[in-house]
Amino acid sequence: MDAIRTDQLTKKYSLGWHKGRLLALDKLNLRVREGEVYGLLGPNGSGKSTTIKLLLGLVTRTEGDAWIFDVPCDRVESHLHVGFLPENPYFYRYLSGAETLEFYAKLCRMGGKGLNQRIDELLELVGLTHARDRRLASYSKGMLQRIGLAQALIHDPQLLLLDEPTAGVDPIGSRDIRDLILRLKKMGKTVLLSSHLLAQVQDVCDRIGVLNLGQLILEGDVQTLIRDQRRLSITVRELPDAGRAQVEAAVRTAGGQVVAVEHPQTTLEMLFLEAVRKDPRGVKGHD
Amino acid sequence: MTERVGFSPARIVAVALNTFTESVRQKVFSILLLVALVFIASALFFRQFNFGEQFKFVKDTCLGLISFFGCLIAIIAPAQMLPSEIENRTIYTLLAKPVRRVEFLLGKYFGSVILLFLSVLLMSVMFGAALVVMERSVTATVMQHGPDEPGETLAQAVQQIQHEARDPNLAQAVLLIFVKTSLLAAIVLLFSTFSTSMIFNIATGFMAWIAGALVPVVKGFAWTAKWILALAAVVPDLGMFNVSDEIVQGIPVSWGHVYSVALYGLVRVLILLVAAQLVFSQREI
Repeated sequence: MDAIRTDQLTKKYSLGWHKGRLLALDKLNLRVREGEVYGLLGPNGSGKSTTIKLLLGLVTRTEGDAWIFDVPCDRVESHLHVGFLPENPYFYRYLSGAETLEFYAKLCRMGGKGLNQRIDELLELVGLTHARDRRLASYSKGMLQRIGLAQALIHDPQLLLLDEPTAGVDPIGSRDIRDLILRLKKMGKTVLLSSHLLAQVQDVCDRIGVLNLGQLILEGDVQTLIRDQRRLSITVRELPDAGRAQVEAAVRTAGGQVVAVEHPQTTLEMLFLEAVRKDPRGVKGHD
Repeated sequence: MTERVGFSPARIVAVALNTFTESVRQKVFSILLLVALVFIASALFFRQFNFGEQFKFVKDTCLGLISFFGCLIAIIAPAQMLPSEIENRTIYTLLAKPVRRVEFLLGKYFGSVILLFLSVLLMSVMFGAALVVMERSVTATVMQHGPDEPGETLAQAVQQIQHEARDPNLAQAVLLIFVKTSLLAAIVLLFSTFSTSMIFNIATGFMAWIAGALVPVVKGFAWTAKWILALAAVVPDLGMFNVSDEIVQGIPVSWGHVYSVALYGLVRVLILLVAAQLVFSQREI
């Protein structure tokens, strides 16, 4: 069974009196399989958020159909197995972390003795146990994103829809969320991730789809899509200059062409994280 | 995975309590407390009339203030509920759960009603406290200086003071004020289902308040155009809920009349909530 399936899903927004309609999504055919992390990419206005809103029944489709675990998206039953984290969520600032989760749990008709345990588990999972009883008004942006993830997971859904989960979050918070998504994947959850951060998507997603002007213009397995079949990279360690010349000669002899010989680079993200983590004073002010 | 999600009063209660908590933490109650202090102060200040006039004045003023501030809360509280949910995107996370839109809307409405109930109750308790303070103060004055009316015995005067201070009919006026504010809240909620502006909702709420209060006046004019009369039939008649004048003047109001007016209010609330749901169910968020 597909976790998400859309068939010719189309959305046109009315622009107002005599101004016509805006085509936000154009005949989208999407399949997200159970247990995979699917990245929905695209520039601003490409239709990513509209797709998520359609899947959640927040806006009505103009044409086509959509299902979540084979339940039509316009039925409230389709929400039983879905958790959603919107872009830049605010939540109720006057509630504490635990109260927020309790409120969302009650909406899912959860209660009883197990609820407190579930709340504690989720706060532990997202690393907010220490901020359990603090009001959300005092949470940092990264903490809000993490409590947002916790509320999305409160009823243990099989599918998570994450709309720009790292928007506005610093690299450490962003990394935490990335790690969380990987943990969710290990737990067997299906994740639809909408993001601009291509490096992050590359790290966590099994498959991606690229939307542009409401149309799906590219889709496939991440590793297959990014592999450059015409180029080959060999990484060696401690190779003296003479050895390097011999390797280059061997490549030429075998009919190959040496395009570049260079030292591998780390990413700026890795450099930043390493520097911060090595700081003996810790990461003050992050939470 | 095709379980049914039925209509759930528990979800309505969850949304209502959250809405109420939000309102309380927005300092609405601080304003009410200030009003309550005004009540008590009013009971202690107006001593220049004879005691019968004093009681009438305080009752009239306090009931007027309860009605005024109740209506003010009935407009402001629901006016900002939906716009703030949409602006803060909290509505997305709520409706992404297995929550029906009608449950969300009813939760929001009942959250306002809880707020209104407690506000009117708190103001009424303060009103009662003011009457108690007055009763003691006036009784002490009468005991010291004798009765106001010539030929009246001290016992008769004290009995009259108690009669004025402990008038059970005041509950009728307070009950109808509460129903009126609940009706006004339903009107504002209906406006907020198709508007995203809090200012618009508040402005239309005030217009509905004024229009509703003018309905009995308009109906009273013989020369009124038919379309105005038709409009007056659609706009809820808020003047019906005003029994304070009769009660303050000591004119008895039957409970049958109070219940029929309350029923009129509840039927209007029901119609408004159905209309609000019809609009909200189609709204794109």
